[in-house]
Amino acid sequence: MTAAVTGALLLPVAIDRDGLPLSTYPMYSQTRGEQVSLVTARAVTAGGDVSTLSLGVIGESDDPLVVAGELRAAIGDGRAEQRCREIAERAAGWSGSADDIVAVEVVTERHDVVGRATGDASLVERTVHARCEVPA
Amino acid sequence: MTTAPALDPSTDDAERPGRQLWLVDVGAPPERLAMFRILAGVFTVAYLLIRFPVFVQLGDRERGFEGVGVASLLDGPVSSWVVVAVLLGTVAAGVAATVGAFHRVTGVAFAVGMLALSSYRSSWGQLLHFEHLFVLHLLVLAFAPAADAWSLDARRRAPVERSPESYGFPLALAAWIVVLTYVIAGVAKLRYGGLDWVLGDTLRNHVAYSAARLDVLGGTPSPVAGPVVGIGGVWPVAAAATVLIELAAPVALLGGKWRTGWVAAAWAMHAGILVFMLVGFPYPLFLVAFAPFYRIERLWTDRPSWLRSDDRRLSAR
Repeated sequence: MTAAVTGALLLPVAIDRDGLPLSTYPMYSQTRGEQVSLVTARAVTAGGDVSTLSLGVIGESDDPLVVAGELRAAIGDGRAEQRCREIAERAAGWSGSADDIVAVEVVTERHDVVGRATGDASLVERTVHARCEVPA
Repeated sequence: MTTAPALDPSTDDAERPGRQLWLVDVGAPPERLAMFRILAGVFTVAYLLIRFPVFVQLGDRERGFEGVGVASLLDGPVSSWVVVAVLLGTVAAGVAATVGAFHRVTGVAFAVGMLALSSYRSSWGQLLHFEHLFVLHLLVLAFAPAADAWSLDARRRAPVERSPESYGFPLALAAWIVVLTYVIAGVAKLRYGGLDWVLGDTLRNHVAYSAARLDVLGGTPSPVAGPVVGIGGVWPVAAAATVLIELAAPVALLGGKWRTGWVAAAWAMHAGILVFMLVGFPYPLFLVAFAPFYRIERLWTDRPSWLRSDDRRLSAR
C-alpha cells in the first residue's frame, strides 16, 4: 500500500505532468525576472482615462490566481473578444465604476514588478487584445 | 462518548524515533485516527461552506473548460444544478463523515465529492494547489476504520476489535503523504528553477509579482510587500530556507523535536507566503495538515478542566 501510494505520488514527477490530486507542485517554482507580463482588463472613460476594474468584474472570483489564469487562457485560446464583452456587461452593473466608463480593454502589460512594488514607474509595454463597449 | 477500546500506552508508537519510517509497524489507538477524521472533516466542511459561493458560481460557466483530474472524464461543463447537487451532497456527506455516521459510505462520498469539486474548480485554465493535500487525506480516511471511536457509528454498534496498526497505518500514510508532497514541491523548485531559484532574486520577484498581479486586477496587495521587496540580501537566504524546509520534510517522521521543529518551520513558511503574497494555504496554516504527526487524541483526552464539566456532573451522580 505504502509503495503504491508513493509510486502514485511520484508518477506526476516522473512524467512531468501536473494534475489533481496528484501533482508536481510547481507553485512559484519557475525562475522569475524583474520584468513580468500580466494580463488584466481595464476601464476606459469617454475622456480616454483608464482605471482598474475589480477581481469580481474581471473574473467573477475573489482569487487572483483564478482570475488571471482564466483570462490568460482566454487570450491564449483566441477568446479575448468574447471575454471582453462578458467583462463589459459586468462592468455596466458594477457599483464601483465611474459613471462615464464607455469601454473595457483586455490587455497584457509588461511591468518591472520590483519597481512597481517599491513605488517606481513600472510599465514597459502594453498589448491590447480586445476593446469593447460597455452597454448603456 | 466512545465504545472503542480505551487508550493503551503500549500501542503508542508515534513518539518513538524512527518508527514511522516503517509504516506497517506503527500502532495507534482508535481515538487518534478518530480525531484526525474530526479535524480533517471540520476543516473541509468549513472550507466548503466558506467557499460555497465560489463553487456555486462554477455552475454558471460555459466557456474555457479544460478538464483536470476526474473532471477530465467530462466532455464539457455540467449543468449548474449538477454542481449545486454535488456541492450540497458533499457538504452533507462531510458532516456525516465528521460525526462518524455511516462512515464507510459517507467517508467515501465525502472524499470523492471533494475530489470532484476541486477537480472541476481547477478545470478553467488555472490548476490550483490549495486542495490537493486535504483531498488526499480524505481519501486515506475514507478507506480507514476512522469511525471506530468518537463517532455515531461506535455508539450504535458493538466495539470492534482491531490491531493498533489498523489505526496507526492510515495516520502514518497520511504523514508520509505530507512529507512526499513537500519534498516534491522542493524538487520542483530545483527542477524548474534550478540553482538560480535558490541563489538569485527569484523569491523577491515572486513576491513583487504577486503584489503587481493583484494591483492590476483591482485587488489590494499586501501592505508589507513593497517594503520587504526593497530589502536587499535577504531573499537568497529566504529562498534557500524555503527549499531546505521542503526537502527536509522527512525529518518530521523522526518524531520529537525534529518533527516539531520541521512543522514550525513549514508553518512559518506558509505564514510568510500569506503575509507577503496574500496567498493562503489554509490546510497547513490551520495545522490540520500536520495532525497525523501527533498524538492528537490528547486534544480531547487532555482537555482543560473547564471543558470537563460534563464528566464532573456524571461522576457526581
